Amino acid sequence: MSENKTPSKAKNRPDHKVKTRVLAVFLNLVLIIFSLSCIFPLIWLFYSSLKEKRVFNADIIGLPKSPSFSNYVDILSNKDYHIFASLFNSFRTTIISVSLIIICGFIVGYILARVKFKGNRLLYVIFLMGLLIPIHSLLVPIYVVFNNTGLNNQWFTLIIPYVAFGLPIAIFLVEGYVKAIPVALEEAAAIDGSSFTRTLFTVILPTCKPILTTVGIIQTFGCWNEFSFALVLIRDQALHTVPLAMTQFTGQFSSDYPKIMAALLTTMAPIIVFYFVFSKQIIKGMVAGAVKG
Amino acid sequence: MLNSIRPKKWVIALYLLFPILLYVFAVFIPLITAGFYSFFDWKGGPNKTFIGLDNYATLIKDDVFWTSFGHNIYLVFACIIGQIGLAFIIVLMINSRLVKFKAIHRTFGFFPSTISAVYIGLIWLMFYDYKRGILNWFLELIGKGDQTKVWLNEPKLVMLLIAIPLIWQFIGYYMVIIISAISSVDQEIFEVAELDGANAFQRAIYVIVPLIKNTLLVCVTLCVAGNMKAFDHIFVMTKGGPGNDSMVMALYGYKISFAQQNMGYGSAISIGIFFVSLLVIGGVQFLVKMLTKEKGEI
Repeated sequence: MSENKTPSKAKNRPDHKVKTRVLAVFLNLVLIIFSLSCIFPLIWLFYSSLKEKRVFNADIIGLPKSPSFSNYVDILSNKDYHIFASLFNSFRTTIISVSLIIICGFIVGYILARVKFKGNRLLYVIFLMGLLIPIHSLLVPIYVVFNNTGLNNQWFTLIIPYVAFGLPIAIFLVEGYVKAIPVALEEAAAIDGSSFTRTLFTVILPTCKPILTTVGIIQTFGCWNEFSFALVLIRDQALHTVPLAMTQFTGQFSSDYPKIMAALLTTMAPIIVFYFVFSKQIIKGMVAGAVKG
Repeated sequence: MLNSIRPKKWVIALYLLFPILLYVFAVFIPLITAGFYSFFDWKGGPNKTFIGLDNYATLIKDDVFWTSFGHNIYLVFACIIGQIGLAFIIVLMINSRLVKFKAIHRTFGFFPSTISAVYIGLIWLMFYDYKRGILNWFLELIGKGDQTKVWLNEPKLVMLLIAIPLIWQFIGYYMVIIISAISSVDQEIFEVAELDGANAFQRAIYVIVPLIKNTLLVCVTLCVAGNMKAFDHIFVMTKGGPGNDSMVMALYGYKISFAQQNMGYGSAISIGIFFVSLLVIGGVQFLVKMLTKEKGEI
């Protein structure tokens, strides 16, 4: 077949060119449609949130004729909607959890990679099991434990499971990364009289920055977006994180779409900004974490 | 390692103490607790009655649990075909020299996977809405107004309608993974294949797939693990309904435990979910290991 094809290709050069152009248009068109479909919700949400409920219900797809930010003013000025509170809770939970995951993951990962002690491998396996354990099966049990110990429904409640569930992947990534660093680095530091702790934080930590960034990126999205554990562990509306607050909010205003859209966009805004500003690093980090994990 | 830099034992113990305690408390204690309560008839109140293995006997015969498990498996297959399959096709297109704006496609395509499943569920809930939904609006637009439905109330369609947002959300994610796998392969191989007269389809199946087989298998394991834990967007969209037609395991455990306050049976379901998921995810990972081993190390 291939012998037949080559000469015919040469003969029909202009035809071939047209074909290429058609193909180019087709490919680009399909991909543009794909890309647009991925951000269409954002666009639709945004311009629809500038409509009044009445206007939206009459025409769900048209652009607003007299756009107004009244929906935003409304949801942000009313404290009962807990928009600001939920944003604050999400920020607090995410920042503390991710910091703890990075610090603990770094320390444990380093120790498991470098320090010989009895039980080192056992500990590694126990943490690695966390990657295999179906976390979603803990949904009910974790509620029981937290309820019995009085740890549920506190401002710090969610930090405990988020850190615990984030540790295995962090430890796994750090351990692998540290093993590839030459020991000479620590030896030189030790000869200079640096203590274990000092070497850990002033010599090793900077070298691990790339992998810790990866861990941080994955966990930031993980913590910010987490829903099911927040659902069972937090009852108090004032402690709701953003996804939880949104399920409440939409239940309350199920018929007022523009208002829901304004709330969705407002609470999505931090993650959208974060993503579009650092998209290159984020995509790289998420992919590296996914493939290695 | 030099002896002089060997840290003291108590220093190590101190560093390890907090992470281990936290990890054990949030992962193993709940598992053990669930195992314990699964032997009791317990409605969440102060009274518990030991009933031995009764909860497990119920679980094995519980149609809803196994239907839910079936729905998880349905999602796994739908997502392997929909997410990885479509992502692969899109990658083939994107890698063409004729395509422009590659970086933008990647950035936009990846975007939905960074959004919480709750938001994805809420947004698609609006798409599917009867009066104000885009789906029905579109059907009216193309003159098929008689086909409009209260979509999520259709028992036969609901799983598909639940799977679509999930597929849509993660196509870009797998797309990016596959792109990076292909770009790490020596590009000359593709050119040689082209010179040999292989067409795009042949190149995809016989050249690209074998070269990125390991990555594709990683994608499959991610898909399996991701869909066994499906919960968030279904909770938002249908709560498992109509009836139990879109129920998944995690949601069923949640419903029994919190809506019906049946904590004893809920614990048994949790242990059931644990073993079933472990078996499926572990089994797939084992298979993948076997398949990747043929060609030596990863």
